[in-house]
Amino acid sequence: MLIRNMFRNLFKNKVQFISIFIMSFLGLFVFVGMDSEVAGFTEAEEAFYNEYGLADIWVRGMKFMPDDIDKVKGLEGVKDAERRASVKGKFLLPDREADMYLTFIESNEISRIGIVEGETYSSGKSGIWIDYVFANKNSLKCGDRVKLKYEGKTFDETVRGTIRHPEYVYFLRDSASMMPDYGFYGMAFLDASEFPLENGTEFNELIIDAEGIDNYVPVNDDEKAVRKSLEAKIREVLENDTLAVLDKDDQLSYQTFRAEMDQHRGMSFMFPVVFMLISVLGIITTMTRLTKRQRIQIGTLKALGLSKSVITMHYVSYGFFLSLAGSVLGALAGYKYIVDLVLTMMADTYLIPNPRGKLTSSGVFVIAASVAVATLVSFLSCRHQLKFPPAETLRPEAPKHMKTSRFEKSALWKGLGFATQWNLRDVRRNKARTGMGIIGVAGSTMLMISAFGCLDSIEFITDWMYGQLNTAGYQIVMKDNTPYEEVYEYAVKYKGQMVENISAVFEAGEIDKNGTVTVIERGSLLHFQDDDFRSEGLTENGIAMSAKMARSLNIWEGDFVRWHLTGDDKWQKDRVVQIYANPGTQGITMFRKVYEQHEYKFMPQMVLTNMESVKDLDDEAVLGVQDTKGLMRSMDEMKKMMYMMMAIFISAAVILGVVVLYNQGILSYVEKIREMATLKVLGFTTGKIRLILQLQNVWITIAGIILGIPLGKLLLYGIMADMPEQMDYRGIIFGPSYLYSAAGTFVLSTLVSAFLSRKVRSVDMVEALKGIE
Amino acid sequence: MSLIELKNISRAYTVGDREFYAIHDINMNLEEGELVVILGPSGAGKSTLLNILGGMDSPTEGEFFFDGRDIARFKDKDLTDYRAWNVGVVFQFYNLIPTLTAYENVALMKDVRANSGKRSVWNKGDVEVMAPENAIAAVGLSERMDHFPSQLSGGEQQRISIARAIAKNPRLLLCDEPTGALDTNTGREVLKLLQDISHKEGRTVVMVTHNSSCAEIADRVIRVKNATVVSDERIESPKDALEVNW
Repeated sequence: MLIRNMFRNLFKNKVQFISIFIMSFLGLFVFVGMDSEVAGFTEAEEAFYNEYGLADIWVRGMKFMPDDIDKVKGLEGVKDAERRASVKGKFLLPDREADMYLTFIESNEISRIGIVEGETYSSGKSGIWIDYVFANKNSLKCGDRVKLKYEGKTFDETVRGTIRHPEYVYFLRDSASMMPDYGFYGMAFLDASEFPLENGTEFNELIIDAEGIDNYVPVNDDEKAVRKSLEAKIREVLENDTLAVLDKDDQLSYQTFRAEMDQHRGMSFMFPVVFMLISVLGIITTMTRLTKRQRIQIGTLKALGLSKSVITMHYVSYGFFLSLAGSVLGALAGYKYIVDLVLTMMADTYLIPNPRGKLTSSGVFVIAASVAVATLVSFLSCRHQLKFPPAETLRPEAPKHMKTSRFEKSALWKGLGFATQWNLRDVRRNKARTGMGIIGVAGSTMLMISAFGCLDSIEFITDWMYGQLNTAGYQIVMKDNTPYEEVYEYAVKYKGQMVENISAVFEAGEIDKNGTVTVIERGSLLHFQDDDFRSEGLTENGIAMSAKMARSLNIWEGDFVRWHLTGDDKWQKDRVVQIYANPGTQGITMFRKVYEQHEYKFMPQMVLTNMESVKDLDDEAVLGVQDTKGLMRSMDEMKKMMYMMMAIFISAAVILGVVVLYNQGILSYVEKIREMATLKVLGFTTGKIRLILQLQNVWITIAGIILGIPLGKLLLYGIMADMPEQMDYRGIIFGPSYLYSAAGTFVLSTLVSAFLSRKVRSVDMVEALKGIE
Repeated sequence: MSLIELKNISRAYTVGDREFYAIHDINMNLEEGELVVILGPSGAGKSTLLNILGGMDSPTEGEFFFDGRDIARFKDKDLTDYRAWNVGVVFQFYNLIPTLTAYENVALMKDVRANSGKRSVWNKGDVEVMAPENAIAAVGLSERMDHFPSQLSGGEQQRISIARAIAKNPRLLLCDEPTGALDTNTGREVLKLLQDISHKEGRTVVMVTHNSSCAEIADRVIRVKNATVVSDERIESPKDALEVNW
């Protein structure tokens, strides 16, 4: 019979109970969706790497001869090795020249080509195998004759197939880009015999399949050790100390995907926590109210001979069944709908075949945790009404014993109106209920602030990056190994600023990080700001370090850092003279003069300029010209993701606000019904009583908003801190966003309060003053 | 041996730093099959006495024997067990569960007994819970069985409340102002029902009231005032409940 009683109570109080169900549902909906996406996508990634044998080690920094391969293959720990030429060329489309990563190979045993359509590759076979996204977006198909250009030389090829490749799961157009825009540029593989230059194929890269490194898990310490030992052996056997020996962690494709998955994993846990908190608040308010209202009923059940444990189980089962049903259905729906939604979005960024959702045991664990929390909170919420003997429970609860505070004896108190005095006393009497209301409003404001903040941050970062730090309208990207003098001519001609980026390793204490050394010539297009966005010039007296790198290495201004360029064994040690902030590149920056003092030669690969005439530049030495607008366009993808996040946050904020405020209001109404009836009997109008009630709501809302703003900032900082390592994204909230969030919360709260205060009209004076249930 | 023996029973409460007695030094014996009315003004201590008899509260001093067992020493769990097997309660405001129908309110007693367990010290294997429809038929409301309490009149609700109380086949039926919320005619019918339960079925019925007219149907009237028993009177020929007026 108690089960029937439960279902009828659930139906009777459906608004509040549905909110608990929805919160459990949403928490698991997002969690299982994202968890399954991460698990499935990672599994697809591993399967892809395994099927096509992603290389374990990449060696760069010299021209590799046939006997070099034999030497490396002969090393202990090397299963196989191949040499290849990796260059950046152009693909000549009817309307433009697209950047194209070209790889000329001799064999296809390591990091194998994955054919999407067309013929398989075999050694010596002519033609080109081109990435399928580029082919699709530019309407290319097998058998087409296409034109390519490298080092000024144009050559024709027949498209043999469209492909994907384990080293090109994620790739950017160049180092200045922040997001991929596949199809606008691409990658292709050809046989080494197709290399277009007359003086032979420039084999500039060696890839190695090593013993003791597998494709399944992130690079672990053992694999790092294998790479380290092979690094020394390779340098020794090839008699070259400056070779760059890299592993998967140094590959943008592998590393970015892993970082993205880590970010999703982090976010997937954040959602159930937020929704569980809302659900907990809902359970507390609903169950406290229910048991309070059913006090006499509880006493009756006890008097009839039902044990405390059975009655407790009865009330606890509300939270248990609702959260169980919500969580399980949420998990199933999340697996069915969220996985596909996220995978479809991700499939445009990460070119991995057949990603499918995969259920993991974490889902079961989170369901269990959600149900356990809901059950425990239900128990704690109804414990108070269940602890007394039936004789006491059968009597209406005695009013709380109150003492007059000092404030209430002061002159100030006497000057306050009745409504203020009444509400102040009510707040004092019901601290827990008031606190819950404030927490609910704060949570709602927090979510709104962080939602608007996500969008503000992306707007800010785009402007910061391309409007403040880099004010060049165009970037002339030079071909590799273009002599300095030639680059300098471009800089003079186009009034530009020369820049060189070199990858490097940084070390401080036990921590080491990969990053970039940026060397710049004097100019007016690159600007610097400190960690608080104050403009400053780049130091002339040493090196400056990006703020995120400094944080990662736990370095402060004045500390020393050890660093070496990739492919160069010589360690440098410098004092960090300045810390600057940059959202896109992490490492150190210095003027050319400082760089040359370290006995390096300045070899700029880029000239920044504002002269529009560079747009149509088609010189042999120039790889391409990028305009800033194109780079800003790549940020749009990120904006799309932020819009989705914003929609989820604002929905959660509205649900949280409504659930908590409605529950809190109902609870307060039930508790105050006798007082309201008394006020009515004494002659107060309904309107006046409604105003009294709404005044308290205004206080709670204002307190909640004040508390919610810093919490929202913290949440936003957390989201931004979760971005991949090379990005230093700052949580920024513009003034209007504070206003929108506060106003949004206030309007929501006022609407709920106005809706609830309508109930005052229906207070039946006689019943309320007489009735017990 | 009497069914109930109270020896020097007191119940003290502390309010702030002040202690006061709701009942003080009560002694009485109640026999099987008696219809006892405890009469007294508001605040005399009669409800406290009823709560102690029903195992809903424990005395702070004294001994309370039911069928030879000292209930005053019982812990919470044993008191629940005592109520589940021995006590039926009828409240002034009926206290029916509003979300259960009349039938379901009575059928709830099966859950009570099942929950109490077969190993209860009170389980002698001869007391079965009545079928809910029989209990409801006994109070004459078979046709209203599927109605919710809000669809029943006060008198009907009180009769369902009695059906719920007798469904357990309790040895002790406690009634707290059972006619307090009813008009005279309906009140009379309820009293008749209680009188029959005592006289025809041989159950001990204890009724607490401040209405002296109700005392006319009792076999015994105990008057309580200022927390103590002031008189204990046996009535040789109680009135039929239908003849009572107030």
